[in-house]
Amino acid sequence: MWFGKRRAEARLSSELRYHLDKLTEEYAASGMSPEAARLRARQEFGGIEQVKEDCRDIRGRWLEDLIKDVRYAARGLRRSPGFLAVAVLSLALGIGANTSIFSLINAVMLRSLPVREPDRLVLITRLRDEGKPASVSYPLFHHFRASLRSISVSAAHRTSSPTIVIDGSDEVAEADLVSGDYFSMLGVEPSVGRLLDAADDVLAPESPAAVISHRYWQRRFAGNSDAIGKRFTIGDKFLTIVGVTPPSFVGVRPGRTPDLMLPLTPMLSQEEREEPTNNNLNMIARLKPGATVQQVNAEVQVSWDQFIRAVAAPLPEKDRARILRQRAKAFPAHNGVNPLQYDFSQPLFVLMGIVGLVLLLACANLSGLLLARAASRQREISIRLAIGACRGRLVRQFLAESLLLAALGAVTGLCLSYWFSGVLVNMLADSGGLTLNVAPDWHVLAFTCATSVLACVLAGLAPGIHAVRGSLRPALKEARTVGHRRLGRSLVIAQLAVSMVLVVGAALFLETLVKLHRVERGMQTGGLLTFTVRSAEPYPAARGLAIRAALLERLSSLPGVEAASAAATLVIAGNLWVRKVQVQGYTYRPDEDETAALNVVSPRYFATMSTPLLLGRDFDPRDTTAGPKVAIVNERFARSFFGGESPVGRRLTSNDVTYEIVGVVADVKYRSLRDASPRQFYIPWTQREGEQPASYNYLLRAREGDPLRLGSSLERVVSEVDPSLRLGRWRSYAAIVDQTIVNERIMATLGGFFGLLALIIACLGIFGMMAFQVSRRINELGVRMALGAGRGDIVALVLREVTLMLIAGVVIGGACARAMSGLAGRMLFGVTPTDTGVFALAAVALGASALAAGWLPAHRASHIDPMTALRHE
Amino acid sequence: MDTPKSDLLQGTLDVLILKIVALEPLHGYGIAQRIRQISLDVLQVQQGSLYPALHRLEKRGWLRAEWGEAETGREAKFYSLTRVGRKQLEAETANWDRLSEAVTLILRAAE
Repeated sequence: MWFGKRRAEARLSSELRYHLDKLTEEYAASGMSPEAARLRARQEFGGIEQVKEDCRDIRGRWLEDLIKDVRYAARGLRRSPGFLAVAVLSLALGIGANTSIFSLINAVMLRSLPVREPDRLVLITRLRDEGKPASVSYPLFHHFRASLRSISVSAAHRTSSPTIVIDGSDEVAEADLVSGDYFSMLGVEPSVGRLLDAADDVLAPESPAAVISHRYWQRRFAGNSDAIGKRFTIGDKFLTIVGVTPPSFVGVRPGRTPDLMLPLTPMLSQEEREEPTNNNLNMIARLKPGATVQQVNAEVQVSWDQFIRAVAAPLPEKDRARILRQRAKAFPAHNGVNPLQYDFSQPLFVLMGIVGLVLLLACANLSGLLLARAASRQREISIRLAIGACRGRLVRQFLAESLLLAALGAVTGLCLSYWFSGVLVNMLADSGGLTLNVAPDWHVLAFTCATSVLACVLAGLAPGIHAVRGSLRPALKEARTVGHRRLGRSLVIAQLAVSMVLVVGAALFLETLVKLHRVERGMQTGGLLTFTVRSAEPYPAARGLAIRAALLERLSSLPGVEAASAAATLVIAGNLWVRKVQVQGYTYRPDEDETAALNVVSPRYFATMSTPLLLGRDFDPRDTTAGPKVAIVNERFARSFFGGESPVGRRLTSNDVTYEIVGVVADVKYRSLRDASPRQFYIPWTQREGEQPASYNYLLRAREGDPLRLGSSLERVVSEVDPSLRLGRWRSYAAIVDQTIVNERIMATLGGFFGLLALIIACLGIFGMMAFQVSRRINELGVRMALGAGRGDIVALVLREVTLMLIAGVVIGGACARAMSGLAGRMLFGVTPTDTGVFALAAVALGASALAAGWLPAHRASHIDPMTALRHE
Repeated sequence: MDTPKSDLLQGTLDVLILKIVALEPLHGYGIAQRIRQISLDVLQVQQGSLYPALHRLEKRGWLRAEWGEAETGREAKFYSLTRVGRKQLEAETANWDRLSEAVTLILRAAE
């Protein structure tokens, strides 16, 4: 390109020279002296450079000009490193933050599964009440499969984490149970051996086949081919490994890569296979050629209606309404079965909005800086306009400067975002359970480019146009300065308004987090350790109970342990176990919910959790397997069924077993910190015939200090009680509860961070603007002081301007925040989106920062010497 | 003994160049000379407008430029007419004829 340009220049010169030489020859031939002939030729020819310029203009030169402009801008920027650093840093923060959040949105929502034609996949599912996808049952899967005409092939899938015994050692593996057509539907080919097909998905195969993932093959078998044909056990089933999936295959659920893929039908229990309301499968299907998701959806409605009517028909009138309320739908599933999409989409979109505002703020700030820079280059611009530069060209030069800044900002921002997305994924990840791919792909790069160009135009256009408008008319100079101040002021007001919105958002999210931490839990989560144990083979019931009791005994006598107990369900950890209950002497209203939350617990559970016992007694050794069945209820249960009367001695029935209520405990949050405490009843683990918990969570209360210190001795204690017992993961209870509010914590942390960032940027903006104003008004200030204005007056003069801008910014920003905060409504807790206190707090924070930023230039202005000021040019 | 000179009408330079070049490939100086000679010294082309016009016509694809040896043995840039240029020339010539007839009619009538 450079070569071509130089060549074109040379050709142009030689073309014109030829003409000139010929003219000279002509005059010489007519008898002039060579000297005179040359002179005459030059005269006739006119300005060579002018002709060249005209020719260059015609050839087109925008690229050449652009390169020149960028070089010129680079030279200019090198001369003011402070400006460069501030500008690039604020842009990098804006662009980086936007890119990171977008990478996450990309990873969670946009990235397609690496399978054949992912756009043709649909998820067919029942809906939760709030319209999000739920799951389907095995009979429903087969019903859909037989009745839907617009799909060519479909498969069911569910995740499970079984304990497998392989080569004599046992481990927990991440498994996907998949139906026969799963791999053929996705178009996945084996990398070794074979994959599962319809022949594997039968009720009682001789030895069920299993496929392992490439990652597991490498990790567990070091990629050795003798892994094929290996046998292993899950519970009482013997399975054989028959093949390995390709490295690119990561399953259908983003964020989770399975180790094993097992055939569905033989691995399900009889109840799971036959019960039409046992919903725990995901159904994915491939569209027939030419079919659309809408068509499938229409068919799903008809098919679902048939199914659910058949299910509801035999039920009593009252339950029928609840069953028939359920809906089903077909969703596009290019990104697979993706619960992350629904869990994280709202926080991610709100965050996207927040970082969008941060970028806007950075642009406004940069715009202000460029404006001040343009003002100090006014002389240069006037001269260039006077000697004939056209305005468009000058505007382009300003744009080149901001383009260069945006490019630098984009590169820095990309690096920043790579680091920042890593931090975000770690915050989101369930301690390593979530593997999100946030490496930049073309979506992300395109997004960053678009963002940078937008930033460049936003930041550079206004100052550029402003700087070249009317510069040639000295009479208008005064008006220009006024115009300049007005633009500068609007930029500062814009920054203050955007900051106000961000600070209000930060305050709302921080308040939410504080309220969630302060909400009454009904128990002490601090100082508690929890863990699970598993046995390679299931025990008979009586032996299991004896071993668990022995384990608890050993645990309670550990040094540093104040109390030990076990519970079937960990509360405030996202779990909910509900049962229908009948209470003696209480008749439900027709529309009333007949369920209560249940937990099966060991003795001393309430003491371990520090849940106060309000009435009656705790479970104790009297409550043996053979003894009378007893239950403890919570306050809410007591209030809702017995009003003011004591429930002790009354009876409740659940799953055909009748329990006598022997005590009342305080309300404990059950599913999450947000949900109100439900009606609860507890039954002792010795008397759990009607209720079969899958396993227990053990709880240890530390006498003092960090409960995690107790973890080191657990392994030994567990294996001493029974050598076939394995210790599972142990964690502090507080960490588990914290994990349930990870979204809220992210919003508070990031909201707070961006709010603070916004304050800093806005302060920089105010400081820059006021310092610049003061330096321009130094003469005027000098006159005022000479005429008797005191220092206080000067400070007041400057701060009055700051205050006016502040008021405008807070009012505009407050109104915007009020209009927007509703979007975060469901994410908040214990605070309304229009909470007056929050708005006042944000205004005060902004006001204090703004005045502090304005005070420095004001102080400087009040300390100038009037004589120096008057002489100032 | 100078002949009175006339300024070129706006936009006519292009068609003159196309016509001259249609006769034979020629360099810039030659084109200027030829216009002067054929118009019997009435039309003088300013170099300041000639070269930009040549470059413009080349960019539009009506002229093709080639470097070749001029009569003196020096390298010079020769312009020749392209096929598109020839069509353009025909169109513009027809246009000119119509225009000049019309102008003549009016001027005569006014007398």
